[in-house]
Amino acid sequence: MIRGLLRFTLGRESEMLKVDNLESGYRPMQVLWGLNLEVKKGSITSLLGPNGAGKSTTLKTVFGSVLPWNGKILYEGMDITELPTHSKVEKGIVLVPEGRHLFPNMTVKENLIMGAYSEEAAKRQVESFELVYSLFPVLKERTKQRASSLSGGEQQMVAIGRALMVRPKIMMLDEPSQGLAPRLVIQVFEAIERMRGEIGLSVLFVEQNVETSLDISDYVYIMHEGSIKAEGTPKEIRALTDIREAYLGV
Amino acid sequence: MLLQQLSGNLTQGLILGAIYGMATMGLNLIFGVMKIVNVGHGAFIMLGTFVSFAIFTYLGLTPIVAIPLAFIVGFALGSLFFYFIIGKLTNAPELNSLLATFAIGMLIEEVTKFIFGSEWRGFTWDVGRVTLPFTVLPITKIYAFIISILVVIALYLWLRMTRSGTALRAVVEDKEGARVCGINVDRMYALSFSIGIGLTVMSGVILTFFISVGLNPYMGGAYTLRAFVIAVLGGLGSPLGAFFGGVIFGLVENGSYTLLSLIPGIEPFSLTRFVTFFILLIILLVRPTGLLGVK
Ligand SMILES: Nc1ncnc2c1ncn2[C@@H]1O[C@H](COP(=O)(O)OP(=O)(O)O)[C@@H](O)[C@H]1O
Ligand SMILES: [Mg+2]
Repeated sequence: MIRGLLRFTLGRESEMLKVDNLESGYRPMQVLWGLNLEVKKGSITSLLGPNGAGKSTTLKTVFGSVLPWNGKILYEGMDITELPTHSKVEKGIVLVPEGRHLFPNMTVKENLIMGAYSEEAAKRQVESFELVYSLFPVLKERTKQRASSLSGGEQQMVAIGRALMVRPKIMMLDEPSQGLAPRLVIQVFEAIERMRGEIGLSVLFVEQNVETSLDISDYVYIMHEGSIKAEGTPKEIRALTDIREAYLGV
Repeated sequence: MLLQQLSGNLTQGLILGAIYGMATMGLNLIFGVMKIVNVGHGAFIMLGTFVSFAIFTYLGLTPIVAIPLAFIVGFALGSLFFYFIIGKLTNAPELNSLLATFAIGMLIEEVTKFIFGSEWRGFTWDVGRVTLPFTVLPITKIYAFIISILVVIALYLWLRMTRSGTALRAVVEDKEGARVCGINVDRMYALSFSIGIGLTVMSGVILTFFISVGLNPYMGGAYTLRAFVIAVLGGLGSPLGAFFGGVIFGLVENGSYTLLSLIPGIEPFSLTRFVTFFILLIILLVRPTGLLGVK
């Protein structure tokens, strides 16, 4: 209710990220065919869909590790379509990629420090460490351990923690629950909610885990074959039985 | 007598190995960051030997001066080749960059031949010698050893202590992870290529401190092969591994020479290569990723 009111009063300004008619792929194969989506400030938005729908490609194109072919990406109203990834990171956009991509031979602490690479982030490093350790207390006991020696769940925490060290305004996560035990899945989703609650982070995440995703999302997009097929609040999506069956298999 | 000869040869091997190792660090740096194998590696070592030759013979200066100069020349050439060629191939299939570095190597060779001609060159730089109990060492070789060690330490400190060095290590460990941290990966590519070529040309100068004759535009091939072996031995992509790989290579090459020459009826020099490769094989069987390589 309050969130709805906020969205209404803030109107346009509440838009964190807007993707407009985006096309991209891996030449010569086109994957995204005119994709549209929006992430409101301080919201948790999820992007669901079957394997191969182009969800990862969407996040990578927004982040810039895959180049857009066509369309626009707006961030806080600013056109960032052509920006290189490092400039996007400086502006506050970060990606927790599929497969985590930690630095395997660096310790947990070194991995986190790398997240604070930009000069702005480096200044706030101490504060960021506290934030990360309060979200994931177990990492505090692992600071000197090599990233490659951690369990899958702990590695995912380091990946999210490293992305937080960047001091982002929006975090995109690609299947954060992949390969995790149910207990850890809950922990990761809780962390996502806490990041939104405590630092007002906007979140856009991709998941296969439909039920849990619907539980924590404010808004949901369903994608198939490179474009959005349905969107709505979790409640609306739950009501769309045929869409859910066709694209999510639940 | 034998022990004395062996210790003498091992001392030479240690020094030469340190130079080999130093001469492979640039190759390994470039490979570690970009996964590009610089097939033209030896040509840049050759270029360094000619920088040293020119400084000494034409300008009459001490070849020590050639060390920073060679680094600067190499860095500039590296930047140039990166900007116009290599940088455009970072996403292309591996064969493209292989052919490109091969072509660049040939270009360096032909330009050197155009300037210096194709005959064998050499010079004698004599600053005295020290007599050790088991061998006599020219002081230039001691210079070569000390400078190689200093270069290794400098590279190590750069990678460990500085912001750009740390960023470079991050790119070596995981390129995508580095992007996520806001590191400009393309700039790290350029930096690693320029520094890698700079180190390689510089190593050519240091090589002339050990042996300053037999310089020729086409001498690089043998060094390319050695560098490949040393890089694999030390661990592909690890500059420090390359150094230790080089030291082991030098010790084995020279040590086995002494021992092989004891066997009557064989030609020890050609067999050293066999022994060296045999030991490489054994090390790789025990540690498939090389001495300091990571999986
Ligand atoms: N690096 C790549 N090179 C070529 N094709 C790719 C690459 N990554 C993904 N694809 C293809 O793009 C399509 C969409 O993939 P992806 O975005 O990973 O889907 P999702 O994340 O929804 O499972 C798939 O057909 C996949 O095979
Ligand atoms: Mg995916």
